[in-house]
Amino acid sequence: MPAIQINGVVKTYRGKVHALRGVSLEVMDGEIFGLLGPNGAGKSTLVKILMTVIHASECSGTMLGKQIGHRQTLENVGYLPEHHRFPYYLTGKQVLHHYGALSNVQRKERQSRATSLLSRLGLCGWENKKVSSYSKGMLQRLGIAQALMNDPKLLILDEPTDGVDPVGRREIRDLLAELKEEGKAVFLNSHLLSELELVCDRVAIMVKGLVTMQGTIDSLTVDSRRYEITTLGTIPEWATEFADDVSANALTLLGDDPAKIQAVLDRLRAENVTIVSVQPVRENLEDLFMRAVDHKDAPGAIQ
Amino acid sequence: MMQFKALLIDAYRQLSAAKLFWVTVGISVLVVVAFGSISFNTEGISIGFGAYQIESEQLNAGSPWARGLYIGIFSNFLVKIWLAWIATVLALISTCSIFPEFVHSGSIELTISKPIGRFKLFFSKYIVSLLFVVLQVAIFCFGIFLCVGLRIGEWNPLIFSAIPIVATFFSYLFAVCVLIGILTRSGITALLITGIFWMLLWSVQTSEVILNRFVTGLHVDIERFDEGVVATTEELNAIRAESETDFRIPKLEKRIESYEEDSIEAQDSLAKLTPWHTPVELVLAALPKNAQTIGLLDRWLSDPEGFDIGAIMNGDMRAFEGEEVKEFDPTARGARDREANRRIQDDYESRSLWYVVGTSLLFEGFVLGLASMYFSRKDF
Repeated sequence: MPAIQINGVVKTYRGKVHALRGVSLEVMDGEIFGLLGPNGAGKSTLVKILMTVIHASECSGTMLGKQIGHRQTLENVGYLPEHHRFPYYLTGKQVLHHYGALSNVQRKERQSRATSLLSRLGLCGWENKKVSSYSKGMLQRLGIAQALMNDPKLLILDEPTDGVDPVGRREIRDLLAELKEEGKAVFLNSHLLSELELVCDRVAIMVKGLVTMQGTIDSLTVDSRRYEITTLGTIPEWATEFADDVSANALTLLGDDPAKIQAVLDRLRAENVTIVSVQPVRENLEDLFMRAVDHKDAPGAIQ
Repeated sequence: MMQFKALLIDAYRQLSAAKLFWVTVGISVLVVVAFGSISFNTEGISIGFGAYQIESEQLNAGSPWARGLYIGIFSNFLVKIWLAWIATVLALISTCSIFPEFVHSGSIELTISKPIGRFKLFFSKYIVSLLFVVLQVAIFCFGIFLCVGLRIGEWNPLIFSAIPIVATFFSYLFAVCVLIGILTRSGITALLITGIFWMLLWSVQTSEVILNRFVTGLHVDIERFDEGVVATTEELNAIRAESETDFRIPKLEKRIESYEEDSIEAQDSLAKLTPWHTPVELVLAALPKNAQTIGLLDRWLSDPEGFDIGAIMNGDMRAFEGEEVKEFDPTARGARDREANRRIQDDYESRSLWYVVGTSLLFEGFVLGLASMYFSRKDF
């Protein structure tokens, strides 16, 4: 069953600004799903619609099997908003208790979960200190702990590693992997493509209020897979018939079938051309993102 | 219930974190101690735990007026000045930022993404925010209750009626503060506009009181002048029946003429004032009546048989005497003024709870309705 399934979500502000122009996507149970996009693409708007923070102009779909906007469903959803702000007068532990209680978590459960989450997120020793004394990275960790207080089936994180140091990022990645192991669906909204590439099972790329690509990273990069053969000396002229791109001492063959390049390699060797390297290459998430975004266009919602 | 409790605890923590809350509690305690320092002994009144002694034959231990004075100080000064003005201003300063902070970007997303409806969230937050005033007034009233009990031996639970009255009074202003707070997301703006609204209410209420005083005074004048005409005409007729040349006849004729002229003049003035008074009355009917709400406490606590400090402050010494005194000349200015004051007091005291609190709560409900509609529809 998909944890999230939405079709044609539209959000228009004051009839002028088209933040979302018919977004459809699916997040499956037990997967980590990444939503990418440039600033103003509508990622946070979409997340906020899922969490009932923003009202959609048009929306059909379900979250954990219930209509989007069904309030009781939120008991099973954890959410970390971007640039969140906790009340300055609360301690870390009080923050977890407060938001846990708002999610209808019983007191006993809150106590045990708060203790284990503070330890899991590396905040031991800080639980009784006011959040006003926390660093940005610590606030982010506390935010994730807060999102996990209700032991959610679906976790929606908006820029979870924002302000977190490399060690912390690694820990958060490990945590996300553990949550996936536990069968939870994780919906990640981030700019950090390298982070997403490491943890996401599937991604969607949003540009100007539309999902332009969606799928596993492998499936999205299948067209870009190729072999690059580098040689010492000039490439023979016949190679242009087989290769998709030829330069002075390198040729590129599109596709990911190794059998396809064997004949070329044999012929090069037969002609005593020294082969320096044969490298299977594919686009990384950043290349894919840049291709999808078409960075020549101005970012932002359509007005 | 768990969610409401979480919001309640949060509101308490927020208020506790604000230094002003404790400053106000401290001043409240000082006011109670000052009140408690007043006591009565056989010689008179002792102030400052015996530091000053005012000798009095009327106001001393066991005198019926001691109770009136002590309760009167509470309901006329401590409630009307301390609770209704100073403590309310401090409470507004402390609470004006609760809703702006609540709807602040980054904070509101955390709360409204929880399984709690927006209307429920809004009204829960509103109710728990009133905790500030309830706590402050409860502490204050408890202190006053002890003082009254220990000083004059009257353990009067009606003193605690100040808690709902002051909380209701404060809620009229706080509703406006909340509406502006969520519209502008600025505590300072909310405070400023609430202050302006309070001044507006004060102006309307004061205008109504002044106009009512004039109108009631003119009604009394017309009645008294007409009564004067009737009484003087009877006197004149009686004299004429005895002698047509009595030396008092021209004087009485002149007096009748004067009464008639004064009555006509008063009627003209009344005709000019009524078009002003009626609209102001209607506007006031639609607005919160905070002065009259606070006045309810005086109404409930005053002893009709005893000493009424409020009436004495209005210059009605008959309340002090405790019995009706026949006016020597009911048409004299002083007598007319006293009668007008009595009628005005009767008028305000006869205004029903529905008129005073009900219509005010209707206004508050309207403002909160607007605020909650905005809150529930807003994209954060």
